[in-house]
Amino acid sequence: MEIKTICSTKKTIGDVIIDIKEQSGDFDAKMAIFFASSKFGAESLSNQLSQVFEGASVFGCSTAGEIVSGKMLKGSVVLMLFAPEVIADVKLGVVENIRTENMVPEVFKNFEDYYKTPMSEMDFKKYVGIILIDGLSGAEERLMDKIGNLTDITFVGASAGDDKIFKETYVYADGKSYTNAALLALIKPAADFDIIKTQSFRRFGKKLTATKVDEANRRVVEFNNQPAAKAYTEALGIPLEDAENHFMTYPVGLMSGGEPYVRSPQQVQEDGSIVFYCNIIEGMELEILESTDIVEDTRRDVETKINEIGSISGIINFHCILRTLELEEKGQVDDYAKIFSDIPTVGFSTYGEEYIGHVNQTSTMLVFK
Amino acid sequence: MAGKIKTMIDAIIDQRGKGIETLIATTKTKLILKGIKLDNYDANSEDDLGVVEKLREIANDLNVAIN
Repeated sequence: MEIKTICSTKKTIGDVIIDIKEQSGDFDAKMAIFFASSKFGAESLSNQLSQVFEGASVFGCSTAGEIVSGKMLKGSVVLMLFAPEVIADVKLGVVENIRTENMVPEVFKNFEDYYKTPMSEMDFKKYVGIILIDGLSGAEERLMDKIGNLTDITFVGASAGDDKIFKETYVYADGKSYTNAALLALIKPAADFDIIKTQSFRRFGKKLTATKVDEANRRVVEFNNQPAAKAYTEALGIPLEDAENHFMTYPVGLMSGGEPYVRSPQQVQEDGSIVFYCNIIEGMELEILESTDIVEDTRRDVETKINEIGSISGIINFHCILRTLELEEKGQVDDYAKIFSDIPTVGFSTYGEEYIGHVNQTSTMLVFK
Repeated sequence: MAGKIKTMIDAIIDQRGKGIETLIATTKTKLILKGIKLDNYDANSEDDLGVVEKLREIANDLNVAIN
């Protein structure tokens, strides 16, 4: 077996570690990625898991719910172990102080030293990156922008969660835990890999242009030269006071190649501006989106990928917490989990997703053939 | 003067896209995420100095040489 998934629903770190040791058996892991409820002490969990898989690169983050083949969980730890037949090599780097600095180039320098190739020249078909980032840092856009400037390598991943407490999130790397930081893993897979980006929206048929923004706070002051909430509700044909009730089902999307890069509204401010979970730049033209069926769309996109590449031996699923909440609201959690019943899968409910840039209400998935 | 913005956008996409379909698409998305409305510019578009300057900065960030 070249990819193994493990999940533990034990209540204490000690019991989780024993459980994981038993389940992993004598698996020879080159890389282990794990996602854990924030209820577990960050440093202790990271340290002990690193010891269990000594010799492997072990990394992960805290979550707002966990995903493993066929199940969506809360309060658990899920892992995916990769044999050297799947992962030829991996190098980890931690970007610290991301709220105030942008040290991606320094971490990239370490990657270049390790792989003996400039990041600007690395072949995007031979390498892939994973990014896990403090989900309360607000730094995702800046980091993804810098990464995209410096390399053609795809970095896919997500913002760590903390079980909807919104206090502190963690990323983990080789026995340590970090907040106000991002974990970058530059992977040289031995197996073929691909990316799935899926979101469940269609165009509503109305556009909004961000004519005044407070970029630092992810706040749109005006759409179409009107207070943002007024323009948004007028476009939807709903009363102003109903704006927030429509945010989850009617977010906005920045369109590229017919594909939405979703920006989810979070809150209406007293001045009629709207705070988003994602940055919007002044002048951006956005489509209002209307939600469709997450289960149906995800199943279709996973099946399409299987048809494209022949088979899937493992999926790491970075799944927006807003999608999880929508699935819960519609009673579709089990139906969603079943999509991954026969595919080794781990993932988590995120505070934002990363693919080329920072997006919301999306699943970004790293897929191994 | 007209057409400079389209020329700059094309130069960025050519150099970072390297003639590879996936990289061309990714580069276009990167530009859109940086706030460049690709579909708004053609050879007849006026040379808006603000946009020209922004594209110069983006080209510099992307390590692309443009005239």
